[in-house]
Amino acid sequence: MKLICLVKFVPDVGSAKYDFERHTLIRDSAHLQLNPDDVCAVAFALKIKARHPETIVEAVTMASARVTPNMEDLLRIGVDCGVILSDPAFAGSDTFATTRVLGRYLSRQDFSYLLTGTHSIDGDTSHIPAQLGALLNLSQMSGVQKIDESLLGQGIARFDVESEQEITTYQMRKPCILSLTRESGYKLPYASRANLEKDFSAQIQVVSNADLGFLPEEVGLTGSKTRVVETYVKRLEQREQRTVRADESGVEYVFRFLTDKGFI
Amino acid sequence: MIRCLIYIDPNETESSLDLIEAARQLHGDSFEVTGVLCSALDQPLPNVFDRLAVVAYPESGCVDPAQVVDTMQAMHWKDKYQSILIPATHFGRMLAPRLAMLLGTGLVADITQIRRKDDVVEVIRPAYSGSLMACIRYVGEGPMMMSVRPNVFRDMVKEERAMRIMPMQPRTSGGGIERIEVKPKQISYDIRESDVLVSGGGGAAKSFAKIERLAELLGGKASASRKLVDAGIAPRSIQVGQSGKTVSPELYIALGINGAIQHIEGIKQAKHIISVNINKDAPLTSLSDIVVEGDADRFLDQLIRRIQQYQQSE
Ligand SMILES: Cc1cc2nc3c(=O)[nH]c(=O)nc-3n(C[C@H](O)[C@H](O)[C@H](O)COP(=O)(O)OP(=O)(O)OC[C@H]3O[C@@H](n4cnc5c(N)ncnc54)[C@H](O)[C@@H]3O)c2cc1C
Ligand SMILES: Nc1ncnc2c1ncn2[C@@H]1O[C@H](COP(=O)(O)O)[C@@H](O)[C@H]1O
Repeated sequence: MKLICLVKFVPDVGSAKYDFERHTLIRDSAHLQLNPDDVCAVAFALKIKARHPETIVEAVTMASARVTPNMEDLLRIGVDCGVILSDPAFAGSDTFATTRVLGRYLSRQDFSYLLTGTHSIDGDTSHIPAQLGALLNLSQMSGVQKIDESLLGQGIARFDVESEQEITTYQMRKPCILSLTRESGYKLPYASRANLEKDFSAQIQVVSNADLGFLPEEVGLTGSKTRVVETYVKRLEQREQRTVRADESGVEYVFRFLTDKGFI
Repeated sequence: MIRCLIYIDPNETESSLDLIEAARQLHGDSFEVTGVLCSALDQPLPNVFDRLAVVAYPESGCVDPAQVVDTMQAMHWKDKYQSILIPATHFGRMLAPRLAMLLGTGLVADITQIRRKDDVVEVIRPAYSGSLMACIRYVGEGPMMMSVRPNVFRDMVKEERAMRIMPMQPRTSGGGIERIEVKPKQISYDIRESDVLVSGGGGAAKSFAKIERLAELLGGKASASRKLVDAGIAPRSIQVGQSGKTVSPELYIALGINGAIQHIEGIKQAKHIISVNINKDAPLTSLSDIVVEGDADRFLDQLIRRIQQYQQSE
């Protein structure tokens, strides 16, 4: 069985710095990490591989080649090969153009299940998995938790999706796209001591547009259907306001406010 | 005539109807709006669409976005919509990208605002976990597609329209997703439906029972910041904010909540905000009608006592 995980390395938004003049995230200052939902996708794949060693796990990302060390970290914990789709022509792609690139590569691969995250913490569009479903004509489900491992080998993905009111069990046949959420709780294994030292660069493949053959206007900024024209840091609107202390008179003030407005 | 297509999520009809207001902000006052409904509803929809396409799925409704996409794609080929709006629900967020891909058109996710600049439409959405707002334009022929964050275009008056029902047959070839079982959760409540929310954060971690008590006294519900959800003190279903829910209560009492932008994102539309914080300059205080400077737990004790005293004297 072959599992392909789509992964994205994202800035650690908490510690990233902003360029307030230009209203952009200073990308280089941000330490890259594997997107939290994607962590669960990779962790699930490795769990299957641990149980069925003949399973092949491939991680695919579209990104600049500077993610190579991050990809190597995935090989260290047991992913069999890492593929980086990288070309100056792809720069500036929106989700539509990104899906085209990922889709062309994937259309040439043989796989049983495509495992992805549901959201990424930077883009947070959730577009890529469903768009790939459309492009590759595969069923896709977001918000996947708890996948029934015993049925996967028979070509059946059965899993739970939790909503506000209910837990629904769905089923799809392979090949299909399972988009996990971090609530699934699958955890990455640790790298073995031997692997910490090892050089994995030979197992990383960089695929460029020479391999995929897009016309320049099909991908990148020019192939995109949406364009970010401005970003800004939100300013809070100031309200007319009163500050009181948490003592008897402050509590009385709040109490009066609540009765005046009819809340009590 | 400008035409707009709106998908109605049967599990979130209210939020779906709000998209008519989004369409108005997009197109101005004169446009024709068609709704797509793929499931039977308990209550009939109000007459707020010009046309309503009712797709006759079996009783259990449709669980596969790919099937709905086929129907909507066929409708677009026939009627050529200028915009297609989809609520950013679990189903909507799988449906929208599929449809956008097949139509070869631009899609913006989870938008919270629409504006027009020199007659060009710009849609706005939070990015980088809400720390930045991104303003996005469409390129190419369209239609303009967006998924719209529930509860954002709330409470606008909807114009009455002569709703014509168009029954439609679903695609027969069947989708690849099967629903096996549905287990109801022991749910508590939907914080979006409550007029009063008493909300706890990192500074009130030990006071959650009192928060629930105060909420009860005010006829409201308890909610929480992500800090308390991550700490396992509150369930995820009551988290307010960017990765939680957008709420629009009449009253929001925030106890020990700092007001990270991701939290603020969810409460912008609260009518009145009271925040209790030992730090009177915490970001949330600038949004508040009343700032109570001091310890949340102590404040809870005092206010609960004051209300009970009042009720006993009644
Ligand atoms: C992708 C992403 C999505 C996110 N989504 C959300 C979201 O949906 N909702 C959300 O809430 N957060 C969200 N966050 C997290 C957010 O950035 C903050 O970490 C979180 O809101 C902080 O919660 P808090 O204000 O309750 O806690 P803290 O940051 O710990 O603040 C505690 C506050 O309580 C005050 N305090 C301390 N002691 C007392 C006391 N005794 N009495 C009174 N006041 C006291 C402090 O002065 C402080 O202001 C998200 C983050 C990311 C990266
Ligand atoms: N550049 C990318 N390369 C590979 N996978 C991606 C990329 N962008 C997004 N994905 C996948 O799509 C999911 C949703 O991401 P997003 O659409 O950015 O919210 C992620 O969790 C990844 O699994």
